Amino acid sequence: MPTELTDAAGCSDADPAGLGRGPLTRRLPVLLHAPAQPPEAGPFEAAAGITPGRFLLRVILSVKRVTVPAMLLAIVWQVGESAVPVVMGVAIDRALATGDTAQLVLWLGVLVALYIVLTVAAKLANRLTAYAVQLLQHRLRSTLSTGVLHPAGGAARAPDGSVVSVMTSDVARLANAGILVILPISRIAAIGFIAVSLLATHWLLGLVVLVGAPVAVWSMGVLSRRLSQDTREYQGLLASTVGRATDLVAGYRVVKGLRAEAEATRRYREASQETLVGAKRNAGLLGRFLVGSGAVTGAFVAAVMGLAGWFAVDGQLSVGGLIAAVGLTQALLPQIQSIANASIPNLAGGLASSARVIDVLRGADSGNRGPDDAACDEVAPLPVLEVFAPGATIRVEPGELVAVRADDRTAARIAATLLDPRAGGEVEVRLDGRAARELTADEYRSRVTVAPHRATLFSGTIRDNLTVRGGGPERVEAAVRAAACDDFAADLDVPVGEGGNRLSGGQRQRVALARALASDAPVLVLHDPTTAVDSVTEHAIAGRLRGVRAGRSTLLIASSPVLLGCCDRVVDVLADAPVGEGAAR
Amino acid sequence: MGATEHGLPVTGGRETASEVWRLSRGYRLRLAAVGLLGIVSTGVDLIPPVAIGFLVDRVQTGTADLGTVLTVTAVMALSALLGAAGTAVTIVLATRVYHTILATLRERLVGRAMTLPQHRVERAGTGDLISRSSDDVTAVADAAPAVIPVLTVTAFTIVVSLGGLAALDWPYAAAFAVVLPVYALAMRWYLRTGPRVYRAERAAMSARAQQLLESQRGYATVLGFGLADQRHRAVMTNSWSVAVQALRARTVQSMLNARLNLGECLSLAAVLVVGFVLIDHGASTVGGATTAMLLVLRLLGPVNQLLFVIDTLQSALASLSRMIGVVTIPAADAADASTTPSDLATAVRLREVAFRYGDGPPVLDDIGLDIPAGQHLAVVGPSGAGKTTLAAVIAGVHRPDAGTVTRPRRTAVITQEVHVFAGTLRDNLTLAAPDATDRDLRAALDTTGAADLLDQLADALDTVVGAGGHPLTEAQAQQLALARLLLADPELAILDEATAEAGSAHAEQLDRASEAVLAGRTGIVIAHRLSQAATCDRIVVMDAGRVIETGTHDELIAAGGTYARLWAVWQAGQHTSTIR
Repeated sequence: MPTELTDAAGCSDADPAGLGRGPLTRRLPVLLHAPAQPPEAGPFEAAAGITPGRFLLRVILSVKRVTVPAMLLAIVWQVGESAVPVVMGVAIDRALATGDTAQLVLWLGVLVALYIVLTVAAKLANRLTAYAVQLLQHRLRSTLSTGVLHPAGGAARAPDGSVVSVMTSDVARLANAGILVILPISRIAAIGFIAVSLLATHWLLGLVVLVGAPVAVWSMGVLSRRLSQDTREYQGLLASTVGRATDLVAGYRVVKGLRAEAEATRRYREASQETLVGAKRNAGLLGRFLVGSGAVTGAFVAAVMGLAGWFAVDGQLSVGGLIAAVGLTQALLPQIQSIANASIPNLAGGLASSARVIDVLRGADSGNRGPDDAACDEVAPLPVLEVFAPGATIRVEPGELVAVRADDRTAARIAATLLDPRAGGEVEVRLDGRAARELTADEYRSRVTVAPHRATLFSGTIRDNLTVRGGGPERVEAAVRAAACDDFAADLDVPVGEGGNRLSGGQRQRVALARALASDAPVLVLHDPTTAVDSVTEHAIAGRLRGVRAGRSTLLIASSPVLLGCCDRVVDVLADAPVGEGAAR
Repeated sequence: MGATEHGLPVTGGRETASEVWRLSRGYRLRLAAVGLLGIVSTGVDLIPPVAIGFLVDRVQTGTADLGTVLTVTAVMALSALLGAAGTAVTIVLATRVYHTILATLRERLVGRAMTLPQHRVERAGTGDLISRSSDDVTAVADAAPAVIPVLTVTAFTIVVSLGGLAALDWPYAAAFAVVLPVYALAMRWYLRTGPRVYRAERAAMSARAQQLLESQRGYATVLGFGLADQRHRAVMTNSWSVAVQALRARTVQSMLNARLNLGECLSLAAVLVVGFVLIDHGASTVGGATTAMLLVLRLLGPVNQLLFVIDTLQSALASLSRMIGVVTIPAADAADASTTPSDLATAVRLREVAFRYGDGPPVLDDIGLDIPAGQHLAVVGPSGAGKTTLAAVIAGVHRPDAGTVTRPRRTAVITQEVHVFAGTLRDNLTLAAPDATDRDLRAALDTTGAADLLDQLADALDTVVGAGGHPLTEAQAQQLALARLLLADPELAILDEATAEAGSAHAEQLDRASEAVLAGRTGIVIAHRLSQAATCDRIVVMDAGRVIETGTHDELIAAGGTYARLWAVWQAGQHTSTIR
């Protein structure tokens, strides 16, 4: 078994596993419980030119050691389910029709034994299946996390919001395709069992099932295609309506401030009504599918039953055989329905998600990546930083505090190149004379830390945010003071909320600045760090910046006069002004 | 109506039910027809097992011929088709009514949310409102495919099959009834255990989504601080904790399955025993036993379905109560304590206004203020002086604890938090003025200095901006906000640090834009840059919730008080940048 057994014994808790088990069973080990630590798994490869189908196949075949036992158990389970009506039929024939008590006891025993076997098999098969799906999800997510969301050296372009939905919905759908090698196969095995059993009662009945079941599955699959396509459309509509409500509420202050409540409500109603039309259309298609699939299965069952009835009338089949045929045909229905209604959409959804996952992985790969292991010892721990922008060169000697004043767009370009020197463009960054794009990500990041203007605080406490890069209590304290956070951050252990939403705009910016200062980076780049801070506080920050960065280099991309005033030098890269460089003091 | 201290209310079961009943007005006849049709079509579904039992009996007694077989086959095929059609129509009709009522409800929810007093929403947190208008709406909509068949067809199937069983031979139905306690116990266990485990799973999932979202939104921060590895590990830890919770949830499901299997096994065994005794006494036939077996077999599926869906039904009801909680907030709550001015010369008048957040310290204390119509007033002071609170009280966002506030009927505020709505640039602008023409929109953008924005955008006014659209810079977003304000054309405009976020490179441009927006109307400017305050007609200096100085720029400089000191600091900053 791939998972370890967790032993709940020794816990004094009333119900240690929290599964609502009674006093007798709660001390039993929970079979196939997930291990607390995720299993190690390498990323999936998505080589160029791989088709969604192939990638899907590679994914679902990657956990064979879980899926193969699950499949075998599922076959036992499904064949067992199909055998229930057979056992019932035989029991009616042998015990009820004859009035033989011994036979009744025997067949009751068989029924109970069958249920025990199929229940245990179902339990294990289900848990193994769930485990396989979770393993696949985790590994896919890991692949996307290292490849797209957290690439070690920066990505060709920043991932957009769709990466989040790919990493949740599409990963879940793709991983669910792992069920395809478990349940449908066991269902096909069960259909095979039914066909063989019918063959044993009458060859023609078996043949009809062997031919008819695939036809029924196929025609129901065809019927469901239009429905599942429309369901996706409808879900898209619903998501956009819900998104509109979220957007309106997120902009609540704007709506209220402008007294635009009525207009906002009208717009939402429009979107909502469009979704309602989609929902009604979807319900209609569902109805059509239900009629179609009901007709297909009804006709199929009636045909098999009619045939069996005729053989019974004709004397080719005993009454017991007829009842068994009735039971087997009854057992056929859920199998056909499940393959058509669950497995086929599962495959279609898995393929679509596979394509999206490949797209996202490729998009991240297409960048112009530098060397990964160019060992180099030419860059000092505290290097000279040079930035070559069109029209100006910015040089920061070790220990200097230099400011760059540029128009918005140029400033953004310089900041972007410092953030990811491999991104290209007309700005170039050098450390000790070596082009930064030729350094490994590790070499560059261990020397240069960039605090972007739009800083994101991560959920957790203020302290969690300040110590993302390590740093002792003294450094944190110095950074908090330098960024003038003392007025609201007396207690560093208060949560900042999602995206820092428990703090005001100015407070968020100051925590972000404190985080940058606490990082103790050899070279720190700050981009407009005080735009949301009032002028008195900004003054205080400007006065403390030099002290907290003493002995290390700082490049300040800013236009605030107060900040510029505290720097060693100010380099002007104004688009429409003559390029100049001057000492502030 | 239950409510947490400041949270939005959640209705109880009875109120939810009565509101749903009110919402069903106009659909009740249709719903009754749905119920009738559901019963009839599940009744039709009973025909095949009965027909098969009939056939078995005729074969056993040797009275069957080809005609019997053909008749039985035709009856089975026809009833299957009719049953399927009836079931389908039932589900379609029920689904349409369900979605129509849901649409009405969600529209009323958003409509009510928009007209709620802002202080009420801010106290509860907009997150609560967002989750009700998104997560809860989605939960109720997504429950439809699971809940509707269960509430219509499945429930009827159980009732009708039990009825059929009783009609066949009542002891069969009695045998099934004996097994019911097993199901009742299974359900009780599931309702006690399931929701808790599912809640934990959903909580783990939303924690995971938040981690992913933060990494994506904070991509620049992650890159700049070299946090890729650390964030990756955090995401993977969250990913695996979802796996652990998901496996727990599946474990609970498989435990429920085992309990349901026990019920199944007992039901079938009971049929055999009862059939054995009945046939032994000549009270039933082999065909009757076959029919009973088929009826019980087709009963088991729906019973299992019902138990599995109860959890979905429960969480849909919880979501419904949260939605209805907002919809039924009485409108009286929105009553505005402020009045419109009686004399036209004074646009804003505050008398002895005091305000505090909840039980906190006073934020505003004894504020008295008169702003003549057309005058521009600047409010300055250090962080935490109460400037934003004062703006909110004047705008009517907060109701003062004491004192009176008089303001024009058409008052508009823009704050530092500029929000760009997802949609076209035109949609964003016409929010404030639905009837504005493209010419008006262009003029407004021109006035706020954003004319070049149109040239940069490929589709001009039709460019999609906001979440998922063309990204706007802070400065552009603020110009957009100012243009919206211009289009709203209020009598009193309040700018709460509306131009603060942009770097100083754009400061001058935005200052000019806000001046243009304020021209010809009464204005209050919560100033971030003192250059902005200096151009106003009058300046109010606040500290610790009180007005400590008031006068024109020149008067205050001459007075040599707090403002003069702030101005000196500000000037010093300007100075260093200009002497070079």
